[in-house]
Amino acid sequence: MVRAEEDTLTHLWQRRHLLSLADFQPWEYDTVLQVAASFEAVLSRRTKKVPALQGKVVAVLFFESSTRTRGSFELAAKRLSADTLNFSAGTSSLTKGETILDTAKTLVAMGTDLMVIRHQQAGVPDLIAEEMDRSHTGVGVLNAGDGQHAHPTQALLDLFTMCTVLDPEAPRLEVLQGKKVAIVGDVRHSRVARSNLHSLLAAGAEVHLAGPPTLVPEGFTELGAQVHWSLEPALRDADFVMALRLQQERMAGHFIPSLREYHQQFGITRERLALCKPAVRLLHPGPTNRGVELTSDVMDDPHLSLVSRQVTSGVAVRMAVLYLLAGGASERPAVMR
Amino acid sequence: MRDYLLQQVRCLDPVSGQDAVLDIWVAAGRIEAMAPQLSPPSGVTVIPAAGRILGPGLVDLYSHSSEPGYESRETIASLLAAAQGGGFTRIHLLPDMAPPLDRPAGLADWPRRLGHECPIQVGFWGALTQNLAGEQMAELADLRQAGVVGFTDGRPLPHLGLVRRLLEYVKPWGIPVALWPWESRLAGVGVAREGAIALALGLPEVPASTETAALAALLEVIASVDTAVHLLRISTARSVELLRQARNSGVPVTASTPWFHLLLSTTDLGSLHPHLRVTPPLGTPEDREALIAGITAGWVDAVAVDHTPYTYEEKTVPFGVAPSGMVGYGLVLPLLWERLVTPGSWEARTLWKALSTRPAACLGQAPPQLIPGSRAEWVLFDPDLPWDVTPQTLCSQAINTPWLHQSCRGRVVALSSIDGSYRSLEQPGASC
Repeated sequence: MVRAEEDTLTHLWQRRHLLSLADFQPWEYDTVLQVAASFEAVLSRRTKKVPALQGKVVAVLFFESSTRTRGSFELAAKRLSADTLNFSAGTSSLTKGETILDTAKTLVAMGTDLMVIRHQQAGVPDLIAEEMDRSHTGVGVLNAGDGQHAHPTQALLDLFTMCTVLDPEAPRLEVLQGKKVAIVGDVRHSRVARSNLHSLLAAGAEVHLAGPPTLVPEGFTELGAQVHWSLEPALRDADFVMALRLQQERMAGHFIPSLREYHQQFGITRERLALCKPAVRLLHPGPTNRGVELTSDVMDDPHLSLVSRQVTSGVAVRMAVLYLLAGGASERPAVMR
Repeated sequence: MRDYLLQQVRCLDPVSGQDAVLDIWVAAGRIEAMAPQLSPPSGVTVIPAAGRILGPGLVDLYSHSSEPGYESRETIASLLAAAQGGGFTRIHLLPDMAPPLDRPAGLADWPRRLGHECPIQVGFWGALTQNLAGEQMAELADLRQAGVVGFTDGRPLPHLGLVRRLLEYVKPWGIPVALWPWESRLAGVGVAREGAIALALGLPEVPASTETAALAALLEVIASVDTAVHLLRISTARSVELLRQARNSGVPVTASTPWFHLLLSTTDLGSLHPHLRVTPPLGTPEDREALIAGITAGWVDAVAVDHTPYTYEEKTVPFGVAPSGMVGYGLVLPLLWERLVTPGSWEARTLWKALSTRPAACLGQAPPQLIPGSRAEWVLFDPDLPWDVTPQTLCSQAINTPWLHQSCRGRVVALSSIDGSYRSLEQPGASC
């Protein structure tokens, strides 16, 4: 890694909130990738903690249940030596008539520096960020998934995982230039797919979406993707294949007739992956429905599947984002220099 | 003050086609004379009004009253102050109070609520169905005798069988009936107009056919029964086209669009702010253009306020679960003037027609007019006056509008009271 360049980019960082990747700049992606690579190196050492956010309070507000994202953020904050404050909808005052902004203000009053927010509805992090700015709190807001809108850290960790496969020494945006990435499944309801669309297009990758028209509307072509209503053209010569989770309730909404038919039409199998480039790698944001989006056979093949690596990278990428949003550039830990 | 002379004011009257700078003399609540220059008779208060615009009082086709039932959103006193502040001399309230206005007893209490000195004319829509449930007809003849201005549930009726019988039943009376074309099952859980923007934001989508399929079906039933109907909340380009075809074939319909559909579109949804949640959802920029052109051409008759107050805590929720609607009285005239008349999309008279003359016609009322001999029912507007949108300036208890904390140009400075007298809104405390 080129340390001098990394330092320069890190010092340019101005962004206080990470709400979506819609306006993320190429140099910002590269900064995240580079800082994440440094933290990944830290995480492979015996002492996995750095004092970067010592004394800072990171509040993790999850209004929607989650295991891996929540755990990943908590661990990331702890590895940076931040104090963490946990909040989930079930144990909150929200049931007592408090608005989401009241909850956020309470956390500010407790000295929170950064808020990590997940909500089942789109726009909640934006609403809280607006309030934080309007009342000049200086608190940063990090979107950990809002409705079907955005999941920027998932897309950043997917980006990091793919770039690291292509260049383990120096993961950077340009290595994905011209690569073909197929995203298969329930794109309509996927915040992961939406955020990946931003990052992959920024990298100059070709994004191919595949699924039935009810789950992959034609409108995605206007957003820069290529839409396929059958699997084969999306998989042909693909460098990466990302399968999305298909939720059981999609049958009730008249999106698909059955999981069986979905698997027959769009399930990722070893046989179908033969259409891709020989070095193709498989991603899935989890949790997976084995036997629906993909077969256990491909999911468990370490030569194909990047699923575990995505989870590992997630901690480093979230450390990088927390560190950058907390204004870490000015207080960089010695270990990073 | 019932005798006054407004000097050198720009008089707009869509009915007579007048648009000229004149002196206008009001005596005993009636317009006595209008001329390029009048010598003030003795004892008449002279009000210099150069640079200001005098138009017929604004007429709101439909808005929501939170009283009775939801006074924490807005009391009737607050609603009246907001309507006056916006230049409305006649407003018409939907029946969805709690309890709903589905029987004559619901009207009985209103004179007390409005008080003896209610400065503007307030009319009431009666419910079409009992408890607005879309099941059994309300006692419509009884409601009509009690004095409702027309009938509507203000929400979609569940099936065309009911629509047909209702239209047949009220046919002999020639009273306004208003229906909302909206097929709930096509809307599903949608909250934003279908298209690339909703897709990018991950908002569940409402296809335009939610409105247009229902409209096409309603137009067929209306044509076959031949009862005049007003169509509420038109929001799509395709609907404007369907209305054009229907009216060319003589189907007895009029239509209106809520004012914000002329100003906002899906391109404004990026912030996902709950104040932008409305039903029907904001259309595409093409829909917006078609509505603007549709009003100019007359395929869409009127602009409605559809003033819908909510409390802070009701609206401080995510976009997708926010209750639909925004307040509007104080903003309609200034914003439509600034965004449509100033840049030249509309003539000033087109705006006044859509906000005053035509809404009155949709209700079968004689329109307010600025001609000698007519009752003085006017609004005085200063198109250049800058102001900030705050809870105080909105004159309303409810502040659920995306324009809150923004700056605005153009403000109503006075309007006539119900007896034709001059009521200034400029002095502190005069309006709210």
